[in-house]
This record gives sequence, C-alpha cells and structure tokens, in this order.
Amino acid sequence: MIRSAIVLTFAVVLLSAGAAKAADTETIFKFYCVQCHGAAGNGDGPNVSPDFPVTPRNFNKADEMGKLTDLDIKNVIKEGGPSVSKSPMMPPWGKTLTDGEIDGLIVKLRAFCKCTGPAAK
Amino acid sequence: MRFVLAFSLGVGLVVMSASAGFADGAKVFADKGCGGCHYTDGPAKEKTIEDQLAKKGPELWYAGSKFKGEWLGAWLADPQPIRPMKYNSLTDKNAGDHPKLAAAEAGEVKDFLMGLVSKDVPAGVVTPKSNPQGKLIFIKKMPCSGCHKYQTGGKLVGGNTGPSLVDAGVRLNPDWILAYLANAQVFKPVKDMPNFDGILSKPDMEKVAAHVASFTAADAN
Repeated sequence: MIRSAIVLTFAVVLLSAGAAKAADTETIFKFYCVQCHGAAGNGDGPNVSPDFPVTPRNFNKADEMGKLTDLDIKNVIKEGGPSVSKSPMMPPWGKTLTDGEIDGLIVKLRAFCKCTGPAAK
Repeated sequence: MRFVLAFSLGVGLVVMSASAGFADGAKVFADKGCGGCHYTDGPAKEKTIEDQLAKKGPELWYAGSKFKGEWLGAWLADPQPIRPMKYNSLTDKNAGDHPKLAAAEAGEVKDFLMGLVSKDVPAGVVTPKSNPQGKLIFIKKMPCSGCHKYQTGGKLVGGNTGPSLVDAGVRLNPDWILAYLANAQVFKPVKDMPNFDGILSKPDMEKVAAHVASFTAADAN
C-alpha cells in the first residue's frame, strides 16, 4: 500500500514536470520558430513570402527529418543553417536559447515528423 | 531653459534631458493614454516570453537614443505602419491604426520621448554608409532579411515579423542600431530575433549598422 502510494506520487511528479516542460517548449516554439516554420511546422510561417530565398524546413516530412540526427537538429538550431550546409536564413539561436530549451524543441520537431534520426534506427 | 533629471533605476541609469516641450509632452503622453501600450520608465521590465507577449506596443524608455527626432515628430502626427504585422502577432496584419496627434502635440510628445535616453548607446560611433561587407552580412551571411523588409533594386523584399528597415536611416539613430546588435539584452531582453553578441564580431556589427543606417525609402540598397 505504502509502496503503491510512493510509486503513484513519483508518477504524478514526473507527469507534472513533463507537462511544465511541454508548455515551455510550446511557448518557445510559437515565439521563435513559427515566424518561419509555421504553427503546424509546414514551413509556411508569416515571413515566407514569394521572394523568401529558401523554403523553410517542413517538420512534418518524415523522409527529410529522418535523415537528421538529434545532434544535427541541435547544431542547426544553435549555429544556424550554414552549420549543416543549409541556408543562413535559418538563424543561429545558440546565444538566445539554452541547451535545455533546444532539447525541448527537438522533442517537439520529432513529434511533428513522428520520426527518429539515423542514430536511433 | 534646459535641465536634466537623472534617475537611477535598478541597474540602469535613465537620463531625461528636457527642453521646454518635455514636461508638456509628458503630460500629453499621459493624457492620451499612450502609457497603456508603451512604457517609458527603464530599465527593461520583460523577463519572460509571456511578459513580452503581454505588451501592446514597443517600450519607449530609450526612445531618444533609438529614434531620430525629426522623423519621430512627423510620425506622431501622421503614423504609418512600421511593422507589417500587428505588434506581437504572427497572424494579424498591422491595421495602421496608431492614434494621430495634432501637430503641436506631436512636437511636444517628440520632445518628451527624445529626452528618454540610454547610457548604453555610445554616441558618434557609427557613420551611415552602404558598404559591401555590411550588405553581405545583412543579405547573405545572416538571416536579417528573413524578418525585416528592405529595398533592393527598387524592389521591396524581406520578411514580415520584424520592423521594416526600408527607411531605417531616416528613422533610427545609427549608434542605436549598433548598440542593439551588440547589447540587445539591455533594450529587449526577450525578443524573437537572435542575440548576435558572440556570433558577429564588433567590427562586423559596425559594418551592418552603418549599412542599415544608410537605408532610405527612396534608395535601392
């Protein structure tokens, strides 16, 4: 009985922590990423006009996202597009976001594509 | 008669340099309810994204360091959209419905706002000048044009979520552009533009600031 209560309490704490983290990631995604990648992650944010020089990544394309490791995604968020030979239109957010915030975004992007990277296959 | 009031506010020092119109402008600003959207007492208050999103308009506590007075007075009398999008929105266009002031009131509010200056904007550092290095960074090496509109070859290009830079050279103090690039945390601790401190070198920031400060609505940078 006591053991069950401890397990339940632990589970509630874990769920609470997870919910808080998810909310933070959602806020961060909406604030920083949606402007180019769109609210649904399709690469069609409000900055993407006909003269936008590149098509921002569509996070829902599992065939493309599946080629990227989590480290690839982390690097491109931190260092910008050129770090993976992509467009500088993807800004370097490494001096703006913390590693923890970027890790949360990676989870969010993986949820869009419902895919994992090569290393996890 | 000119006088200076200095307020020590937390870690920041805001110096209000006031002319005859300063007090009158402060009264107009208060009477018109401008403070409902713009705060004028620094330092920056925003600590979280939620704080930023709760704001209805840009902070103005360093307006005298950011803007050019001539532009500001004219804009207050005939405000035109600076941002393509509504402030803090990623879905709604700027309706262009900022209240207008009568000419005399616009001049007084301009005097008030131009008296709100920041010690973190060193004067006389940046000379506006279109330059290839600044242009290369602005257009090619960094994503500035992804969010900011500008003109090239007479054509309006660039993104929508940041303030337009089409007439940045008319609107903005060149030294503020550099200070903002180098030390954005002082002015906007929470913003949807990357921090470039530690990414761009100081000389590169100066070149970008000089280039952006050369933009006018009539040119083709």
